[in-house]
Amino acid sequence: MSMNRRDFLKVTAGSSGGLVLSLSLPGCAGIQTGYDELDGSWTPDAWLELTTDDQVYFTLARVEMGQGTYTGLTTLIAEELGVTPASIKPRFAPAAPKYRNPLYNLQLTGGSTSLATSWQPLRVAGASARMMLIAAAASVWEISPTECRAVEGRVVHPNGRDNLAYGRLVELAAKQPVPKAPSLKPREEWKYIGKERGRLDAEAKSTGAPVYGIDVELDGMVYAVVSRPARYGARVKSYDDTAARQLPGVLDVFEIDRGVAVVADKYWRARKAQDALTIEWDNDGALDASSDQVFSSYHKAADEDPGESERSEGDFDDAQQGAERVLEASYEQPYLAHATLEPMNATAWYRDGAIDVWAPTQAPDLGRIAAARVTDLSPDEVTIHTTFLGGGFGRRLTNDYIEEAASVAYRIRKPVKLIWSREEDTRHDVYRPAMLHRMRASVSGDRLTGWHHQIVGPQILDWYVRNAAPAQYPWAPKFLYGTLGRVGLMAEGIATPKDHSAIEGAIEYPYRVPNLDIRHTHTDPGVPVSWWRSVGFSHNGFAVETFMDELAHEVDQDPYRFRRSLIDHEPRHLGVLDRVAQLAQWDSAALEGRARGVALFRSFGTYVAQVVEASVEFGEIRVHRVFCAVDCGQVVNPDIVRDQIEGGIIFGLTAALYGNITLEDGQVQQSNFHDYSLMRHDQRPEVVVDIIDSNESPTGVGEPGVPPVIPALGNALFALTGKRQRSLPLKATV
Amino acid sequence: MAVSLTVNGRERMLDIDSDTPLLWVIRDELGLKGTKFGCGMGLCGACTVHLNGHPVRSCSTPVELADGGDVKTIEGLSQDGNLHPLQKAWVEHGVPQCGYCQSGQIMSAAHLLQHNDAPSRDDIVAALSGNLCRCGTYSRIVAAVESVVGDDAARPDREEA
Repeated sequence: MSMNRRDFLKVTAGSSGGLVLSLSLPGCAGIQTGYDELDGSWTPDAWLELTTDDQVYFTLARVEMGQGTYTGLTTLIAEELGVTPASIKPRFAPAAPKYRNPLYNLQLTGGSTSLATSWQPLRVAGASARMMLIAAAASVWEISPTECRAVEGRVVHPNGRDNLAYGRLVELAAKQPVPKAPSLKPREEWKYIGKERGRLDAEAKSTGAPVYGIDVELDGMVYAVVSRPARYGARVKSYDDTAARQLPGVLDVFEIDRGVAVVADKYWRARKAQDALTIEWDNDGALDASSDQVFSSYHKAADEDPGESERSEGDFDDAQQGAERVLEASYEQPYLAHATLEPMNATAWYRDGAIDVWAPTQAPDLGRIAAARVTDLSPDEVTIHTTFLGGGFGRRLTNDYIEEAASVAYRIRKPVKLIWSREEDTRHDVYRPAMLHRMRASVSGDRLTGWHHQIVGPQILDWYVRNAAPAQYPWAPKFLYGTLGRVGLMAEGIATPKDHSAIEGAIEYPYRVPNLDIRHTHTDPGVPVSWWRSVGFSHNGFAVETFMDELAHEVDQDPYRFRRSLIDHEPRHLGVLDRVAQLAQWDSAALEGRARGVALFRSFGTYVAQVVEASVEFGEIRVHRVFCAVDCGQVVNPDIVRDQIEGGIIFGLTAALYGNITLEDGQVQQSNFHDYSLMRHDQRPEVVVDIIDSNESPTGVGEPGVPPVIPALGNALFALTGKRQRSLPLKATV
Repeated sequence: MAVSLTVNGRERMLDIDSDTPLLWVIRDELGLKGTKFGCGMGLCGACTVHLNGHPVRSCSTPVELADGGDVKTIEGLSQDGNLHPLQKAWVEHGVPQCGYCQSGQIMSAAHLLQHNDAPSRDDIVAALSGNLCRCGTYSRIVAAVESVVGDDAARPDREEA
């Protein structure tokens, strides 16, 4: 869905006789816009509200989970509106069709898309309002609007003396025609975009002030915890709550779809009562796989089914037959948990036939579906209030915690806060899928003649579509939800976009090779999976860039120069690769006892090259330094680009060194940070990030730092030890 | 049981189950939400507060052990409306991303500066290694702490301690 100017703002005659601006997107209802005499506020479009007392409110439709939308998107509006970013008051958007992400037709924050999809519409929104304010001032002064300028919340008269604050102009501005083609500021005139500036939420986040989901407080609120089956898909057979109900503060114990809920007046009392429950589970049909079985089933599937061809060029079989050498390798990657530091939680209140939900969610409109599914309510009767998110990384695109909170609230009819323990959060995550990659390459002399990549594992949309499909068809009655989910699946690529989650990063193989065959063998062991920071790129990056390293050593070439020789047709790839080699002083010898590895990978439209310098000390892998060159097009906030890339590097290293969710008899074995470790201060490498100067359209930076660092570390360990590790997490000794 | 606490300089009397972790008392009984729940086992440091001048993991400190004690939370760190030097440094260095762990990071750092005039980088890293950050803001945290080393305002309780 593309958003063009005409769809975006339309002028209609309002009931008050004044002019009302209404936003009209395909398939969306109009928004109440225009000048409100009672409030003294002007709402020119879906995003902005300007008041007579000079306040500017900006509705932030992409949630803030650390990736910086609160600052970055506000900066876009501020630049064109002609106010300082810090003077704008961002507000989190409610769930509404007008705030959907145009790439997905869902209101969700993910895929490193927030800035890229907001870049044009938000600047247009800001510019339109600015031009209408200028037109209003010009009409007061009876001069041409082209003679006036907008400066920090004021329209300035050409005489340089007179000026009018936006607040005084809003009533008049609302009556101006919406500009047909608002002119965006040229790059040379930008005051905020591309400049070094801090985050608008930094002070609040340094004083404990922001309200995350877990901080929501309502009068008369009670607390809920839920006991869920250890094995995915098990159901409650019976439970004994006699002891639990006798404990102080316990209000109710009852079964919900996903387990047994305990409600008490205090959180700790709910936890203690939960311990006093005895639950017998019906494991018929529940997950019973172990990690070993998952991988053996993948190998079996790979043997039996070559998979669907996702990209094919030349003839790999011919290349293989005519080649001097054929190299083969398989790579295995485990399930990974998201481990957001704020555990899953939601607060819900059912009253007067409707339910309000306060939640840290990446997908508010899917939260409405989740709440509607487990109640007799329609999605229209569910209001989602989005809070700050204590980390997202894809976990909060799945709204199972909203579903649970709504179930409990619907029954208890009081405001209720549901909090997951860390153990529950780890064991009931929706995981980054475990994956198998089988690689083959044909080589003649020192020339790469063929590349074959077979990806083996599930697709994420299979798990997601049951919520996403009804959200895209909100008019559909609830009994159709199941059908919509199935139709969404069957019509994949027609009614819904093709699911690239398994193959992204593999099908865009960028190196020059005449014969290429990339396939996906679709197999799903039944373990719930979801998007995880950088999604398919996270595992395909490891497979592609490790195998490239193996090939370089096979043909006896330097890993950097080998890649370089095969990518000189791709200037942006080449740009970051050469830059990182300079940064890391690739051609000088590594320090005694250390070795370096390189990787180059494009994800979400952003080009990243990294060099990792590592050693093994006292039986542990030590990552000393990571050098990174990034090309993400036009930079809106360089400081945030650097912190996102560095954060992605830490996230990727955490996966490479420690990330491993294992299953035994269908049960997740890990529970808390002692057995699902995250990188700590004392393990952190020094990180150097260099940003390529670019005029290209901006692309995302929340995720692209993650994929290359995993193979770059593996490649460094190979350079150090001469032993190639083909499964994750990496080990100090093999 | 009846519990008495001095929280951020204010005396509070509570009637509460004795095994309730201090964290939930601070958050739900006293309404100070800046201290966060992360793991419940003292592994992540998001719940760090000062109890009688020592940094403790409030998620795994039963309130009965804190009875009669002096508690300082992130809300009590700034004085007379002025941000603590660490908080200013956090803003200047653009430390927070999601921000969820930062109260705990700051409380750990504040304790270090209270007791060490000139911590080295290793001292800072050691003092903070119990505080996890999933967003990976570690380098900025250390830079922010280093920028405050030597600032007397970072040791407001020096004389009393």
